[in-house]
Amino acid sequence: MNNRCFVKSMAQVSCQKPLCDEWFDSPCRYAESYVRAIEPDTKGFILPAEARRMSKILKRTVCTSIDALNKSGIDHPDAIITGTGMGCMENSEKFLIDLSRYGESCLKPTLFMQSTHNTISSLIAIILKCYGYNNTYSHKGISFESALLDAWMQIRSGMIRNALIGAHDEVTPFMRLVMERTHPEYSFISESSMSAMLSSGKDDDSICEVEDVRIFHRPDPAEIASVLTEESDEILILGLNGNELNDRPYAEILARLTFPPAILRYKHIFGENFSSPAISFLAGATILSRGSVPDFMKCNSDDTFPVNIKRITLINHSDSSEWSMIRLKSCCN
Amino acid sequence: MIVVTGAGIISALGAGVDTTLHALLEGRSGIGAINHLPTEHKEFPVGEVAMSNEEMAALLGAHYPENGLRTVLLGAIAAKEATANAGLSAEDLRGAAFISGTTVGGMDKTEKYFKSAFDSDSKAEDSRELKYNDCGYSTELIADLTGNFRMITTTSTACSSAANAIILGANMIKSGIVDIAVVGGSEALTKFHLNGFNTLMILDKERCRPFDRDRTGINLGEGAAYLVLESERSAKARGATPIAILSGYANTCDAFHQTASSDNGEGAYLAMRKAIDMARLSPADIGYVNAHGTGTPNNDACEVAAMERIWGYDMPRFSSTKGFTGHATSAAGAIEAVICLLALRHGFIPPNLGWKTPMTEHAIPVTKIENCKNLRHVIDNSFGFGGNDSSLIFSRYE
Repeated sequence: MNNRCFVKSMAQVSCQKPLCDEWFDSPCRYAESYVRAIEPDTKGFILPAEARRMSKILKRTVCTSIDALNKSGIDHPDAIITGTGMGCMENSEKFLIDLSRYGESCLKPTLFMQSTHNTISSLIAIILKCYGYNNTYSHKGISFESALLDAWMQIRSGMIRNALIGAHDEVTPFMRLVMERTHPEYSFISESSMSAMLSSGKDDDSICEVEDVRIFHRPDPAEIASVLTEESDEILILGLNGNELNDRPYAEILARLTFPPAILRYKHIFGENFSSPAISFLAGATILSRGSVPDFMKCNSDDTFPVNIKRITLINHSDSSEWSMIRLKSCCN
Repeated sequence: MIVVTGAGIISALGAGVDTTLHALLEGRSGIGAINHLPTEHKEFPVGEVAMSNEEMAALLGAHYPENGLRTVLLGAIAAKEATANAGLSAEDLRGAAFISGTTVGGMDKTEKYFKSAFDSDSKAEDSRELKYNDCGYSTELIADLTGNFRMITTTSTACSSAANAIILGANMIKSGIVDIAVVGGSEALTKFHLNGFNTLMILDKERCRPFDRDRTGINLGEGAAYLVLESERSAKARGATPIAILSGYANTCDAFHQTASSDNGEGAYLAMRKAIDMARLSPADIGYVNAHGTGTPNNDACEVAAMERIWGYDMPRFSSTKGFTGHATSAAGAIEAVICLLALRHGFIPPNLGWKTPMTEHAIPVTKIENCKNLRHVIDNSFGFGGNDSSLIFSRYE
């Protein structure tokens, strides 16, 4: 893996103002424990006739993908790789409702056709006419990291030059109920779509470099701590959400560090779902390109933050069984 | 070089590589009437695994998964066979990756509890059962029943999911991220996708007839299969004997339609062409193509169009083995990979069951088992919804 991998562009739809960085300067604050995404204006991205046939997650995905693509100047990415924990949940749910209410005789094909997890990645390929590598990962809260690892590895190894990656999850009111009952570690549930263009080439517009991506299954806290010690990572973005069940595993790692890193959080602003780690990626990359840290993300005092931000490390876990570590590095040396 | 050092399988043909080999050699199809799936649509023949969940749990012995998800039971049986076959203990897998393809995941459980969970006086215990709906949960249970893996993840590209799990594992080994990857897929029959395919009117009420002029659709199937992939260096270092080489592979997109293939089979053509190029072979070197061959009018016509673009009218031997196993959707790529490995090792071409009438004079599949002792390179095709097309090439290890 001799090549390097840079982030060229990004776009998000979430409970923050869509398709822009306004969250960085003046984030929307919510008191509720569940909010849906703020829908983007699809004009300029999707024809109205097509938009009517698309579910929410598909509309959001097209908007973030095309926006990231336009900003990158790459028309036809070599690969399109998507992560989604629950896939096209709204359509799956409607199909299940029909199945449970009306039995097995009058079901609608469109709901089934747009219910599979790979509908998202394929739709982008169909719109862009991209015949290259196309893959979808669906593994709880490491769906995004799986897509990122695949793209990063292929770019670093020279198998591809660039990739459009993304992570998308919608949370219907019913899924919110299920999530609250099955994931007691959550505190603020929301929806998110994030797309980014990765490329082996660095230019003036490059946002940051993706230095390392690792995924761990049931690691010992000491293993993650030792990975962080390798590079004495100074700034960490953690998937903290204020809920003891979720935060304790992070504390166990921090307790093993011999140096005091600066800690940032993001879930109190963006909410949480299986695609949340993609938002930590967006936040980390935005901080590196702007060269400053928004106060609302800081968990400790200002003096722990280095003046010159060179690297940000993202640590997230899902159900405390799947973990990921992503190292982002500044392009301004 | 990436080698295969272990394989495990369960399908309508039964559990285990040896059972599968015997069924193929005897020409015995696993397709029959629906027995376990609680559906109204008993008119559709399927490739159902004969064992009930309880019987599979008993086969797994003390390692009975708490929730009895069918995808997990199938997956654990196949993954444990693959790792045992490769001579790897649970602890040996500490540095390895486990990558599994699935689309329905725990949908069987969801179907059972959805109504009571969704109704207005929704019961908390019933909605808790829906936790198992997501794809990752079933992969996690299969992985934990098989070994102590360093990392696990799930591919979900409909009917090419397992093939794409195999490709990710191969790329991770090539990139030096891991030395060993256990890769494949698992998928149980569910009402969700049986009804889904039925709404698209692509299920056959009779035995499926891939590549037949009068074919009318799919017989769905279920099952799981896994391969142990490793670098040749890793296999040599631990004294493992490779079964075959994974010499080429490609993942492409047809970029045409969510549920239909393009007329000229662009995605399928690119997948086979790029895989042949990666293996540094010429089309004439391919001794057998295990086609995706679902039996739908659209898939088979496009797959033939794609093959003709590569081989012209000088087609290699090809067959669809879906007449044996049914179309095991997300697991199909891995189930057919194991069939390809058996064909290479034992020197035979499995027949395309149910075929009677040619579609065109040039596209005639192998319909009777054929001895082929000099088989060296075979292609395993897996094409999914959304045009997620992948091809794998397995070559004899010498």
